[in-house]
Amino acid sequence: MNGTRRFRVHRFDRDAGPATTQEFEVPVGEGTTVLEALRWIQLHRDPTLSLRHSCFHASCGTCGVRVNGKEGLACVTPVEREGGTVSVEPIANLPVLTDLVVDMAPFVERFPAPHPIVRGSEFIPGAQTPDDVEEYMRFEDCIECGLCLSACPVAATDDTYVGPAALAYAQRMLEDDRGDREALLDWADKDNAAWRCHAAFECTEACPSDVRPAQRIMALRKELRGRGKASERATTSLPATEEVG
Amino acid sequence: MNEPDLGATDPDRDPGVEEILRVRRQRGPVERSAPGPVAWFDVRRRGTGHFAFSLNRITGLGLVFYLYLHLAVLSQLLGGADAWNSFLQTATTPLFLGLDVLLVFGLLAHGLNGLRLALVGSGYVPNRQKALFWSLATFGAIILLYSAIHVFGADG
Amino acid sequence: MNSPMPTGSAPTRSRTWRWTAITGLALLVLVTIHMVAHHFVVEEIGGLRSYDDVIAYISTPVIFVIEGIFLVVVTIHAMLGLRSVLFDLGLGASRRRLIDRGLLALGVVTVVYGFVLIGVLASRG
Repeated sequence: MNGTRRFRVHRFDRDAGPATTQEFEVPVGEGTTVLEALRWIQLHRDPTLSLRHSCFHASCGTCGVRVNGKEGLACVTPVEREGGTVSVEPIANLPVLTDLVVDMAPFVERFPAPHPIVRGSEFIPGAQTPDDVEEYMRFEDCIECGLCLSACPVAATDDTYVGPAALAYAQRMLEDDRGDREALLDWADKDNAAWRCHAAFECTEACPSDVRPAQRIMALRKELRGRGKASERATTSLPATEEVG
Repeated sequence: MNEPDLGATDPDRDPGVEEILRVRRQRGPVERSAPGPVAWFDVRRRGTGHFAFSLNRITGLGLVFYLYLHLAVLSQLLGGADAWNSFLQTATTPLFLGLDVLLVFGLLAHGLNGLRLALVGSGYVPNRQKALFWSLATFGAIILLYSAIHVFGADG
Repeated sequence: MNSPMPTGSAPTRSRTWRWTAITGLALLVLVTIHMVAHHFVVEEIGGLRSYDDVIAYISTPVIFVIEGIFLVVVTIHAMLGLRSVLFDLGLGASRRRLIDRGLLALGVVTVVYGFVLIGVLASRG
């Protein structure tokens, strides 16, 4: 499917008044991604269009945007999936710095602490490691892209809600028995933390990295349910089966 | 591997809600999908869970309104037999019976989805929330149909 | 550097969700009883009782107790639900305290008025 598509892109300059949109006719082909289209605009139409991207393959979490209202990583969102004019906006519920670039500091600040982004790998438990390697490590699934916070209807009206990414992180820490368990549970056991979620599950829908934050929030609540009772260090794991139907 | 610094939960270092809101305001306009509470009811390109949340919220608010309307209506009883029985004339007109069916819908939607929230939100069946929604919705639809037939007197 | 997320004015070990869920589950039973009693028992259209029938109904002790319990539980659930909706607006600590006090007052007034209402009616029976 070759031809051109109309893009309506969110533009914002802090010194130049309220946000506006700008339209561009962009040549696209089969498999063209939103990121490719945006870069074409930068190269051929408007070099001042600001956006973030890095890896081009959905592993860095930098290029999050909303395409026709739906969260996604621009580098893997196909243009042909969208009908009509393709609107591109920054992700929601975070301050906009310019155009499609948001301030990720309030996102990261929701996490309970500076947090490790690597953990022990679960994939090869019985494998032999070289003598000087204790265990294999891997990156966390969460690439901190912010799509979950953008999709959350609670975050849409409440900036004090810690949000799905932070809660999912806390649950993973508990599941892997890392960190101070009581401090993590205290952090989560609040009206602006684990109990604020209204089970819309939009965070899980938006997540490009199989973190399943909504399910983790519910697992976290299951953990909090047992508080106050004589406790062993039993942690609640995320259920393994995928959603069916 | 380093343990994370969870001194973050130390109250002496906790900036508090007010400070965070103040700093956030300094950072410039926050992009939203829709202004304020409208976002709760914007189901465009959203899934089953968000629809259930919106439905629960709107039926909840509707039922709170109904609670007070109901107490006001029942206060007619204080006026004695004539006041009440003349109210009953209005209450049995098709419009009011229709509103009764709307009430039943609101109660079923809020109650059955509430059951889903109680189950899913306690950590049970988190991977079946969509299936749970649709099966409860089907059950609710059957009850609603039966209630509507009965309220309008079709089954005597 | 990352700064800690605010703990806000809410105390540790929030219990409001739990009580919303518990009252909600109780209401599944209580509302069903209430709706059946008021729409599916009496033979008239819509199942609604005439004045005399209402008086006879509410002055029955078991009924009075059940309706009273229903009144209390539904008011608690309604106030907790309103609190949840209002707190989703991301208000500051002092507004949240104001809302807590306001909803408590509203809840008390609602329950008191409800009991006065059914009490007066029951006394006529």
